[in-house]
Amino acid sequence: MSLSRSPSPRLGGGWSSPGLTPGSGTATPNPRGLSPSSLAPGGISWAAAKAKSEEVRGYPSFSTRNSGFFSRQKHKISASFRGQSGAGGYVDKDAYGRAQWRPSGGGRGPLAALGMLMRRGRVRILAGILLLFMGYLFFWSTLVQLYRRSPLGGGRKIVIILGANVDGGVTDIKRAREWAIERNSIWNKEEYAKRWGYELEVANMLAKKRYSHEWREGWEKGDVIREALHKYPDAEWFWWLDLNTWVMEYGTSLQSHVFNNLESLVYRDINEYNPLNITHPLPEFYLDELGRSREGDGDTRSINMLLTQDCGGFNLGSFMVRRSLWTDRLLDALWDPVMYEQMHMEWEHKEQNALEYIYQSQAWIRSSVGFLPQRTINAFPRGACGDKNNPAVHYQEEDHDLLVNMAGCMFGRDCWAEIYKYREITERLNRTPWEILKDTLSGAFKRDSEDDEPEQ
Amino acid sequence: MQFALPPRKNQHTLPGARSSRLPLYRRKQLKTFAVFAFAVFSIFYLLTHVYSSSSSAAPAGTAGVVIVTLLDRENFSESYINKIIANREDYAKRHGYTNFFTSVSDYDEAVGDQPKSWALVPAVRHAMATYPSAAYFFHLNQNALIMNPTKSLKSHLLERSKLESIILKDVPIVPPDSIIKTFSHLKEKDIDFITTQDGEDLSPSSFVLRNGDFARFFLDLWFDPLFRNYNFAKAEVHGLDHIMQWHPTVLARTAIVPQRVLNAYSKDSNGAGPDGTYNDGDFIIRFPGCDNVQAKECVEMESYYMLWQRKIKSG
Repeated sequence: MSLSRSPSPRLGGGWSSPGLTPGSGTATPNPRGLSPSSLAPGGISWAAAKAKSEEVRGYPSFSTRNSGFFSRQKHKISASFRGQSGAGGYVDKDAYGRAQWRPSGGGRGPLAALGMLMRRGRVRILAGILLLFMGYLFFWSTLVQLYRRSPLGGGRKIVIILGANVDGGVTDIKRAREWAIERNSIWNKEEYAKRWGYELEVANMLAKKRYSHEWREGWEKGDVIREALHKYPDAEWFWWLDLNTWVMEYGTSLQSHVFNNLESLVYRDINEYNPLNITHPLPEFYLDELGRSREGDGDTRSINMLLTQDCGGFNLGSFMVRRSLWTDRLLDALWDPVMYEQMHMEWEHKEQNALEYIYQSQAWIRSSVGFLPQRTINAFPRGACGDKNNPAVHYQEEDHDLLVNMAGCMFGRDCWAEIYKYREITERLNRTPWEILKDTLSGAFKRDSEDDEPEQ
Repeated sequence: MQFALPPRKNQHTLPGARSSRLPLYRRKQLKTFAVFAFAVFSIFYLLTHVYSSSSSAAPAGTAGVVIVTLLDRENFSESYINKIIANREDYAKRHGYTNFFTSVSDYDEAVGDQPKSWALVPAVRHAMATYPSAAYFFHLNQNALIMNPTKSLKSHLLERSKLESIILKDVPIVPPDSIIKTFSHLKEKDIDFITTQDGEDLSPSSFVLRNGDFARFFLDLWFDPLFRNYNFAKAEVHGLDHIMQWHPTVLARTAIVPQRVLNAYSKDSNGAGPDGTYNDGDFIIRFPGCDNVQAKECVEMESYYMLWQRKIKSG
C-alpha cells in the first residue's frame, strides 16, 4: 500500500499524494506513481480514486496555466523539490525520464523504479540545494538589507547624522590627513547604515557666515538635527556622530544594542555617575513631582534624549534624540543670545556646556534625558580621559564596544593615526569565516617564509 | 468518469476537518478557559481604567481652572489684600474654579536679588504642583479686579470658536514694530498660552496657561537664572518679550488676544495699547500704576471696587 502514496522521500517538503497538486497541470494519469496501487487488489484506494476524480474535475488536457515563461520556470524550480508529484508534471515529460524508465519498466518491478527515482530526486535536490546556497551567497545579504530598509524592517526609523567637513577649510587648511579622516569616517558610517537599513545624513559643517557672524559656532548641531527631523519625517531616532568616530561592530544593530534595552541600560538619576556634581533632584518646593523626581516618570517612553557622560561631564560627540516636541524645545532652548552673551567666555565646549547648563537650571529637561553607560555608544581610546586603561571609559576589544570616539584627538593627539588603528581592529573583528581561514593560512605561510629567510 | 463515492474535500483538509469536530469534553474545556480569560481580562481592564481615571480626572469643584493670585502682603495692607481675595473668590465660586493664593515672600529665595515681580513664574509652577490635574491656570496680577464675573473663562476665551475669532494674527510681538510677528495660522488646539500686549510689551500680568509639558518647559525657560541675571529693565516682562521673540517653539503655542479681553488698563494708567483702556462691561480692570506704590493701598481701585460690589449685589 505504501505506493499509493508518494514513493519518493518527501525531502523537498512537497505534498506526497500525486492527486493533490492540481495546479501542476497534470493532464494524464501519472503512470509511475499510481498504476501499481490503483491496480492493487482490494479495489480502488481512496487516494487513487481521489486523484482520478481530481483529473476529471480538474483541468483540460492541455493546460493554459503554465504557458507563461515565468510560471513555467517557477514550476521547474518547484518541481525539483516536490519529488514525485512534481515529477509527474508536464515539464518533466522529457526524454530523460521516460526513455530510461520505460524499457526497464514492467520486468524489474516497482522497486527498481523507486531506486531510479530516488537517484533522480537526489540529483535534483542536490542541484536545488546548490542553487539555494548560491542564491544565499549572492543575494541573501541584499535581501536582508532590503527588508531592513523597508517599512517592515524598521531601519528607516533611525537616522545617523555625521558631522563632516568640520570648518570646511575656512578656519584651517584641510590637508591630506583631514581628507583621509573624512573619507574613511563617512565610509565607515555608510557601511554600518547600509547593513541595517538606517538613513545616513552626512552634514556639511562648513563654518557658515551665519554662525561666524553671530559667534555661535558649535551650535550648528542643533540646526543640522532640525533639518534632519524635517528631511526624514518617518524617522524616530536620530544618532549624532562627530567626524572623529568609528563604528566598530557592523553586526550590532542599534535596536538590539540600545533601543530595545532602554529599561536595563539607561540611568536617569544622574547621581549614579555625576562628574559635574549636579544637584539632583532639584530641591525647589514649587516644582511638581515630576520636576523633583529622581527618575523622571520612570517610563522609558518618556526618554527623548540619550547621551553619555565622560570624565568631564556630558559628551555630545555621540548622542541620540528622539523625534518629539520635547526635542524641538530642547534644540530651541539650547541657543539663546542672552545666555550666550553672558556665558560664551565660560562655555569652552560651547553647545555641550550649554546643554549642561540648561540641564542644571531647567527642570523640564531632566525628566526626558536618559544617560547611557559611556561605552555603550561612546567608548574613548586611551589618551582621552586618562592614559591608563579604564574599563568604564576606554574601548574594550573583548567586549565588542559599538563605537569609539577619538574625543579631543585634535588637541595634541593624532586623529588619523587613531582612526587608522581602530579601522584595523574593526577589519580584524569583522572578518568572515572565509577571510579568517585565508588570513590564518597566509599567516602560516608568512611565518614559514620568514623562517626561511635567515637561512638564505 | 464518475465514482460512487461523492467527491470529498481535499485530503489535506482532513486534519483540519477533524479539529472542527472536537471531542465534547475538549470543547467544554476550551469554553471554560475562554470565559475565564475574558473575565480576568475585563477585571484587569476595569481596574486599570478606574485607577488611571481616578488619577487624571479633575477633582470635583475645580472645573479645571485654577486662578493664581500672587499677593504682596509686605507692601499692601491687609484690608486691600482682603478685597482682592473677595473679588477672586466670588468669581471662582460662580464658575466652580479654584483659587490659589500665594505670597511673593514665599519665593524670595528662588528669585534672589532680582526684582520681586519675577515671583509670578515660580508661583504658577507652584500652582501646577499643587493642582496637577487642573486643565488651565489663570494668572491674574494682584492689582486687578474681575469686573464682569458673569463671564466664564470658557465662553469668554477658551472655547474654540471664541478663541480663534479673537487671536491676533501676524501682529508684531513687541509693539509697535518688532520684526517677529505672531503666526497667522494658529488654531485653538495649538494654543497653550494666552496673553495680551499693552502699548509697549507683552503683558504677563494676566494670562492663561494650559497645564502640560509646554507649561513646564515655558515656565522653566522663562525663570532661567541667566535671564533673571541679565537685568532686563522690566524684569520678567522683558524676559517674556525676549523668549517670545527668540524661541519659536514658545511662540508657536502662544495666542495674543486683544488687551481688553483679559487685561484692560484703568484710564488713569499709562502704557495701555490702542483700545486697551477699560470700558464698562469689560472682564478685567488692571491698575499697573499700583504695582510700584508703597502706600499700602491702591487708591485708584477704590471706586471700581465699589462698582464691583454693587454689581454682585444687584446681580
